[in-house]
Amino acid sequence: MNYLLHILVMIGIYLILTQSLNLVMGYTGLLSVCHAAFYGIGAYASTLLMTSWGVNFFVALIASIVISMLLSFVVSIPTLRLRGDYFVLGTLGFQAIIFGIMYNWISFTRGPYGIPGIPSPSLFGFVFDSPSSYVSLTTAFALLTVGFVYLITSSQFGRVLKTIREDEIASQAIGKDPLFFKTTSFALGAGVAAIAGSLYAGYMRYIDPTSFTIAESLFLITILAIGGSGNIKGPIVGTVILVVLPEVLRFLQIPDTVAPNIRMMLYALALILLVIYRPRGLAGEYGFE
Amino acid sequence: MLPQLLANGLCAGALYAIVALGFGIIYRSTGVFHFAHGAIYTIAAYLTYLMLVATNIWWPVAVAVALLGAAFSGVLAELLVYRPIQKRRASPLAALIGSFGIYLFAVNLIALIAGNETKVLRPGVDITFEVGSVILTRFQLLGFATFVVTLVAFFLFKKSRLGRLLTAFSDNPALVEVLGWNASVIRIAIFAAGSLLAGISAIISVMDIGMDPHVGMSALLISAVAVVVGGVKLFEGAIVGGVVLGIVQSLVVWQFSVRWMDVFTFSILVLFLVLRPQGLLGKKVRLEEV
Repeated sequence: MNYLLHILVMIGIYLILTQSLNLVMGYTGLLSVCHAAFYGIGAYASTLLMTSWGVNFFVALIASIVISMLLSFVVSIPTLRLRGDYFVLGTLGFQAIIFGIMYNWISFTRGPYGIPGIPSPSLFGFVFDSPSSYVSLTTAFALLTVGFVYLITSSQFGRVLKTIREDEIASQAIGKDPLFFKTTSFALGAGVAAIAGSLYAGYMRYIDPTSFTIAESLFLITILAIGGSGNIKGPIVGTVILVVLPEVLRFLQIPDTVAPNIRMMLYALALILLVIYRPRGLAGEYGFE
Repeated sequence: MLPQLLANGLCAGALYAIVALGFGIIYRSTGVFHFAHGAIYTIAAYLTYLMLVATNIWWPVAVAVALLGAAFSGVLAELLVYRPIQKRRASPLAALIGSFGIYLFAVNLIALIAGNETKVLRPGVDITFEVGSVILTRFQLLGFATFVVTLVAFFLFKKSRLGRLLTAFSDNPALVEVLGWNASVIRIAIFAAGSLLAGISAIISVMDIGMDPHVGMSALLISAVAVVVGGVKLFEGAIVGGVVLGIVQSLVVWQFSVRWMDVFTFSILVLFLVLRPQGLLGKKVRLEEV
């Protein structure tokens, strides 16, 4: 039972991550390779606030969103002026820099030793320390995120984002400043990713930088490329498939030594086949065509 | 101290330059951000290991097999993935995602067969030579000599008829087709040549310091940074960028610590993207034109 609840918690956390990346990648058309960095910034910001200053989880969560959004400007202001491949490279650079800082600034983040003993979230005396209570917490935030992304993208703001994605010059012609909208979308994505980071830290009760690598950023892109992006259901399909698949392989009695490699090869095959034959992914609306 | 560090940096940069030149040629001429270049680097490394350790074959044969394997894998990537994507006239970002798929597949296949642990081909400390006031290992000298040979071969090629064809193809593939050349064949040749360069760099590097399935990722990232630092529009950019990166990394390790090397490397990338997107060699252009 606890095993099932664990999978549900991970689905919730990954849904928040992929929906926030969906805003940036699917709706705004920006292939950002530093989403895991904001996930990490969220996790570290709330962890440090909770362990060093004893701040309550929910206060730390809000602070981590603000911190992540502010730091997103450091990334977006230089990189959003770049196009296509160069934007990808710029965000890749920031991903590596932010990971390097988390890993090497030992006096601040404890680097590779990680931070143990993170307190479980508590609200008005109720402590979310059992798997079943944590499922309700992550599910609630996942639903809030889906609702938020839906509201944003079905508003006028969201339609401007899609216009920029399809034709940037057309959006300028109707008097919308693409840079402003891209910066805002990027900051919102970073802020929501910080929620996932805080929830992850409160759930695992231990974090270290290896959860927030380039490979993690690429994994999030893989989920969106397989499930699809640019609508609400694409990331949901992708997240459920890619979080549940490892467990299916476990039931097929594939030994643990080779299971991760086989899993990655399946992802890779799906990625290649989809990008050739169905660039919008299984259920998406947009796919760099 | 300083001459030794510069020599070490130059020798590391020489190997960076070779793999980056391969990446740069492919990127500049086909527009494909060849993420799988890293996988090809890993393939060449493990083929060398397989040949030398498992079959105990004479080393030039092992090297030849590894280089052919690298070139073949590059061509396979073009035929199976990039060509169908290109036929669809998709955005270059689609090719980038496909390329990442190839990387993921190949590297995990290698890990499945050969295991995730580090493999070494040369036990103990390497033979060293004294050149003036600096001490260099056998593999450092081999790497530098290979770099010089590659450089000479590249510049001779560039001046040749085929070299001019490559430049022409990079500028306008459609026009080259009008002149009667087959664009698909040219692309295949480009991927073969670029992958061969990745293979050369990989073999020398892993014979010296060993390998694990992820060696290709750092080679790829270094290549991409080197191409941006040197300048994307010129093939020579990758060479200059690779050497500069090697030397800068060597100085960072000396002044700060090896831990901060990656942060410096990628800060250089970001600074160049923002302040000098045309690279060291490129002419001044507007950001939008890059």
